[in-house]
Amino acid sequence: MAYSLSLSLLYLGLLCGNGPVYARGSELFTPDPSRGPHFTGCRSREQETFRCWWSTGTFQNLTEPGALRVFYQTKNANEWQECPDYTRTVKNECYFNKTFTHIWTSYCIHLRSVPQNITYDEACFTVENIVHPDPPIGLNWTLLNVSRSGLHFDALLRWAPPPSADVQMGWMSLVYQVQYRIRNASHWEMLDLESGTQQSIYGLHTDKEYEVRVRCKMSAFDNFGEFSDSIIVHVAQIPSKDSTFPTTLVLIFGVIGVAILLVLLIFSQQQRLMVIFLPPIPAPKIKGIDPELLKNGKLDQLNSLLSSQDMYKPDFYHEDPWVEFIQLDLDDPAEKNESSDTQHLLGLSRSGSSHILNFKSDDDSGRASCYDPELPNPEDLASLLPGHSGRGENHPLVSRSSSSIPDLGVQQTSEVEETPIQTQPAVPSWVNMDFYAQVSDFTPAGGVVLSPGQLNSSPEKKKEEENEKKIQFQLLSDGAYTSENTARQLDVPPSPGPEQGYQAFPTQAVEGNLWNGEYLVSASDSQTPYLLPEAPPAPILPPVSDYTVVQEVDAQHSLLLNPPSSQAAISPHTPNKHLPAMPTMPMGYLTPDLLGNLNP
Amino acid sequence: MTQGSRLYFAVTLMCAFVSIHGVGLNDLLERASQLSDKLHSISTSLTNDLDSHFPPVGRVMMPRPSMCHTSSLQIPNDKDQALKVPEDELLSLARSLLLAWSDPLALLSAEASSLAHPERNTINSKTKELQDNIDSLGAGLEHVFNKMGSSSDNLSSLPFSSNSLGQDKTSRLVNFHFLLSCFRRDSHKIDSFLKVLRCRAAKKRPEMC
Repeated sequence: MAYSLSLSLLYLGLLCGNGPVYARGSELFTPDPSRGPHFTGCRSREQETFRCWWSTGTFQNLTEPGALRVFYQTKNANEWQECPDYTRTVKNECYFNKTFTHIWTSYCIHLRSVPQNITYDEACFTVENIVHPDPPIGLNWTLLNVSRSGLHFDALLRWAPPPSADVQMGWMSLVYQVQYRIRNASHWEMLDLESGTQQSIYGLHTDKEYEVRVRCKMSAFDNFGEFSDSIIVHVAQIPSKDSTFPTTLVLIFGVIGVAILLVLLIFSQQQRLMVIFLPPIPAPKIKGIDPELLKNGKLDQLNSLLSSQDMYKPDFYHEDPWVEFIQLDLDDPAEKNESSDTQHLLGLSRSGSSHILNFKSDDDSGRASCYDPELPNPEDLASLLPGHSGRGENHPLVSRSSSSIPDLGVQQTSEVEETPIQTQPAVPSWVNMDFYAQVSDFTPAGGVVLSPGQLNSSPEKKKEEENEKKIQFQLLSDGAYTSENTARQLDVPPSPGPEQGYQAFPTQAVEGNLWNGEYLVSASDSQTPYLLPEAPPAPILPPVSDYTVVQEVDAQHSLLLNPPSSQAAISPHTPNKHLPAMPTMPMGYLTPDLLGNLNP
Repeated sequence: MTQGSRLYFAVTLMCAFVSIHGVGLNDLLERASQLSDKLHSISTSLTNDLDSHFPPVGRVMMPRPSMCHTSSLQIPNDKDQALKVPEDELLSLARSLLLAWSDPLALLSAEASSLAHPERNTINSKTKELQDNIDSLGAGLEHVFNKMGSSSDNLSSLPFSSNSLGQDKTSRLVNFHFLLSCFRRDSHKIDSFLKVLRCRAAKKRPEMC
């Protein structure tokens, strides 16, 4: 007995020690089957009533009702009172109604077995510390907004406080906690405590089902009530928004691509675009030759240009010195004095040998190379020569007006110059013939009137002399072109003399002048090419000696010229048409070997 | 500087307004209710901190709640009684309780720094905070009382006789814990009374309660 008493006392002391003094919350812990009868928990829902539950534990013999009794003691009254209401429907529950519930009052309850007078369990608490409010009611949600992408949305949750809790009178001040999770997930997201009755959830995903629940507790207390029933929050994805998003994206990328292409195009075609949009200001058109043409070597363009512009004619004599020729143009008397025969015959080149006579081996070879394709065919030209057929036509070169200068090296004086042919009244002994005859006048028909070189010669003789001289001169002057008219007008003395004379000429160191020979033949045959125009009888004029023939070269490299007194020596040469025999030395020409002989 | 001057001006205006019209009773009670709520939560957290490292033997030595010095005050025990109590009586009850705890809290804050507890610093700071809140709430409730215009001012006097918590550190700790638990209960009383008062005064605005 004493042993049991001490044991019970000890047990009681332990219980008292372990008892939840001012227990703020007595959880409804699961009954411990290993223990004896014990309280499993006490709870108040609304701070007006509370209930306590106990379990019998291992003591099976105490299961019948009434075996265990609950006694409580408030601090106000020191007696122990039994449970005011044992709930009939629920086993092992003691219900304290309003009259028996005192707030801010500490309670101690005992679980006793009355027959044995054993207190199996004890618990002390105050009611406000065991308050577990009911779950809120009326939980619902509304859509706040959906994000622009249509992937997220915000929801507004609303609920009502539990009806059992008297919030309107201020008896209970509740705070709420919302929890949500993706359906069937394990982890619940918790939001902050909310004292109001609504809360927003942000950043929910569309097309996902969310489970939302809410619970509440007394503010400044730790006992949460039960969770409310979960509701499903779900927003379906709006397909239209999905379709617009890629469309706008495609549009943006398309625009960017087009812009990039444009930029590339502009950069690649920069030059062309510059020309199109900002055309170059046309340079002033100055008459002249475009140096670009010269550089490029466009001969045809250049020829056309050159022929249209007179001023550039002399320049191109430089280019091709071996292709020069003299043109006799009877149409333009003004040009008769442009270049003297002396210069031609002597081979003096002023400005690049503009009028140097050209002895060509081939009748048209030299010229052919000089001619521009635009020009009449060199073969045609050759054929048009008096030596060939086609006499009826004017020499194309001769008749050619000053309209075109085709070649670089070919300088044609379209106007056939009237080469002043002057007769030498007094010819030195080694000069058999009088080369020069001064042209005194032109006939209206275009013929050349030569002045007589000697006083003592009769007009007829003179004429003959002139003719002969002329012919000789013309024969000698290779490259001298006369127009057909001119040629016709030239009266070839119908004597074989000229032939000989003609023939003799080429033998006089006229170097390789086949053309001349040809010319001669033709001349002899036709007797027309060099026809002196029928000139009126030349007035007898005192012999004018404009030229002196170089007689010899003395030691000081000075040329000795014959005095005019030697003119008388000429006369025996002239009377006949018969041309005197030509000395071996050329008449009037200083050939290179002659020049070499002259040199000491 | 402009912001400070603006604030001063606003405060002056408000003070003038308040002096002329005064803050409404509802607002005062609202403010008081908030303060009392804060008071209660601080005391709760403080009790939790103390319980975290409370020696089991201390529970054995713990005095019973009836030994709180404010237990003699007659207060409504349940909701029905509380709702029947007139406002001024409720207010006087709240004020009496508040007044009764000014001295003990001073003792607590003095003893908190030398408490034999690992969370002494937190307990110390929270105790100080409690003291401040009590002072401000007391002043606020005085305003409410003046606003309500009660004729009689029947404040109960609840003296606190103890000067020290104990001689040894364990008894001091136990007494500290005991006092704090008494205060927590009383702060809940004050909070409940003021909330009832507030909701009763805000009948026009049911959304408040």
